[in-house]
Amino acid sequence: MQKKMAYSFPDEVLEQVFSFIQSDKDRNAVSLVCKSWDEIERWCRRKVFIGNCYAVSPRMVIRRFPEVRSIKLKGKPHFADFNLVPDGWGGYVLPWIAEMAGAYPWLEEIRLKRMVVTDESLELIAKSFKNFKVLVLFSCEGFSTDGLAAIAASCKNLRELDLRESEVDDLSGHWLAHFPETCTSLVSLNISCLRSDEVSFSALERLVGRCPNLRSLRLNRAVTLDKIANILRRAPQLVDFGTGYYAAELQPDVFSNLAGAFSSCKELKSLSGFWDVVPAYLPALYSICPRLTSLNLSYATIQSPDLIKLVSHCPRLQRLLVLDYVEDSGLEELASSCKDLQELRVFPSDPFGAEPNVSLTEQGLVAVSLGCPKLRSVLYFCRRMSNAALVTIAQNRPNLTRFRLCIIEPKTPDYLTLEPLDVGFGAIVEHCKDLRRLSLSGLLTDHVFEYIGTYGKKLEMLSVAFAGDSDLGLHHVLSGCESLRKLEIRDCPFGDKALLANAAKLETMRSLWMSSCAVSFGACKLLGQKMPKLNVEVIDETEPPDSRPESCPVDKLYIYRSVAGPRFDMPPFVWTMGEAVRILH
Amino acid sequence: MCMELQLGLALPGSDTWSRPLLKLGLYEDINVNRKKRGFDHGYLEDEFSAASFKNYEKGLVGWPPVETWRRKKLRCQVHNHMTAAENGYCGGRASNSSYVKVKMEGVVIARKIDISIHQSFETLTTTIMTMFDIFSHFPFIFGSVDENRRSFKLTYQDKEGDWLIAEDVPWRTFVRSLKCLKLIRSRG
Repeated sequence: MQKKMAYSFPDEVLEQVFSFIQSDKDRNAVSLVCKSWDEIERWCRRKVFIGNCYAVSPRMVIRRFPEVRSIKLKGKPHFADFNLVPDGWGGYVLPWIAEMAGAYPWLEEIRLKRMVVTDESLELIAKSFKNFKVLVLFSCEGFSTDGLAAIAASCKNLRELDLRESEVDDLSGHWLAHFPETCTSLVSLNISCLRSDEVSFSALERLVGRCPNLRSLRLNRAVTLDKIANILRRAPQLVDFGTGYYAAELQPDVFSNLAGAFSSCKELKSLSGFWDVVPAYLPALYSICPRLTSLNLSYATIQSPDLIKLVSHCPRLQRLLVLDYVEDSGLEELASSCKDLQELRVFPSDPFGAEPNVSLTEQGLVAVSLGCPKLRSVLYFCRRMSNAALVTIAQNRPNLTRFRLCIIEPKTPDYLTLEPLDVGFGAIVEHCKDLRRLSLSGLLTDHVFEYIGTYGKKLEMLSVAFAGDSDLGLHHVLSGCESLRKLEIRDCPFGDKALLANAAKLETMRSLWMSSCAVSFGACKLLGQKMPKLNVEVIDETEPPDSRPESCPVDKLYIYRSVAGPRFDMPPFVWTMGEAVRILH
Repeated sequence: MCMELQLGLALPGSDTWSRPLLKLGLYEDINVNRKKRGFDHGYLEDEFSAASFKNYEKGLVGWPPVETWRRKKLRCQVHNHMTAAENGYCGGRASNSSYVKVKMEGVVIARKIDISIHQSFETLTTTIMTMFDIFSHFPFIFGSVDENRRSFKLTYQDKEGDWLIAEDVPWRTFVRSLKCLKLIRSRG
């Protein structure tokens, strides 16, 4: 015994060694080695990521990791982005803030995604954490500019305030003036989601001017084009910039002022914003285009010729987000100009029109897959696809890690052969051996799921809509995809059999969402009873599921693993299945 | 068949052509020579427009999967272009499509164009002429691009039903009162 102890490192040394281990996975592995390593590791873990805020309780996290400085939490299921999760479902951050206020006085960073944040929560953050530095609210809601004012006023060392894609009750632009004159620490400010046309522009200018470390600034539409030059001249060190409006009547002095301001930003690599673009002002960007690695034009309603001109000036582009106005011709230009392209997202300009309004087809994507050897991540909305094109894309780009294709009309077949797109998507999973994320669309039978189950061994997230013929489809996925963490399904004929046969699989995943499928209330109850480590939640806004026969399918189902047991903050239209829960109801 | 005879006897430019063509699938034959935008077929009479917005009719929530905030932002922009106002406030006007029907003299099939992405008569006319393949169909007759443009005039029907020459009015007035467009050949 004593010999063994003589060979073991003192705790401080191990702690020092562990401090170099940053990834959660590695940290978890370290904690499994032995009891003493677990003990040392948990006291020095500084960052925690909780992918589902209901999988664990705040107290459990605090008990295990007493010295956390940075926390990242995710709330609602992904399909909440598309209005499939009713308001009031949950995802409240207040209980977490309340517990952490006492337990983590030195907390520095809070990053939230799809959570409900209230002004009360923001005020509590402002009051409780003296060294608070980073607040990222990604796709959150429930708070107003009053809450932001509290953060601005109290957080003396604030480095990051990022409100990307959040719904903020924009009561007044004056909250910016709450940043004290002594605040010079800002590194990142993203207020692009603020909707009103008010912003205290002079407060913003002064804030930007006194923060020499400001690297990322994303403005909202209240900031007009003529004001951009003023801002940029105060922050020539910016690396990432989001414009407000990029439209105004063309005036030579405004243009040259703008062009001059942009050219003074020698570090600028990433641009976004661009609401209401006047193409005549795009050449003001030409001086920085050669350095640009990321360009988000996904709100810019500019036509293909202007897009082509801009993109042809950006040979170093790695990431492009754009509307389908880019058309096949624009994507062909992209393929020939931007050899460093890694990520492409093409959004629909007219998602609800049945007739195509632009000439964007599968050809554009094929061209990019051929011309851009580093392409890894694709999100593409279009109106037609063929198996041949998908096979070509798969063969051209086996290095794809994310492939999300949305053919706008559900159940659209291969437009050349009128067959299902099983073979095409099959080729994607077969060739792209590192594929981690996949979204399907078009006409698909159970065969596509057979391919996915066979080849999708690294697949972590799968999104399915209007696909499949029977339970066999779901069974292939649940039994074959070893790395699957998140599965979201809507409008597919998947029922009880596959779910019950693969119940154990669900404990190895973060979550499963199924809406407008064929899973019966009885099966949900059974699953809830047999699997205590799963929360099986039925969502039905019209009537309680037990007011109908057990064989009736449920409207929406959300299943997730949890060590915290059932939650108690559910609205009236959400029911948790299981023995223990029935007693509490 | 009856339909085919009608096709032969009816005058060019007559609206009664449009429907039989679609029903018989003859539209595909006419389009065979148009290599560009093969699937971008014309938009016909308004009777068909109800069937076109299938997704709305089906009442599909959350499809296509475009995030709510993104849809809101895009809708805002269409409004802004339609009112051609410099202020950014999104509100007031009901949700109207910014698409306008465009016809060309001598061509049966009407097209639709998104007026919100244009800011000048020049780009609008060029786009319309490209749409009707004027530059590729008549290269030897009309010579240069500029000559082509001068041979055609853009007219529009306003809300009162009058047909006017587009460039006679300022852009903003034109956009506000525009109902539909027609490209005609200049005389003299």
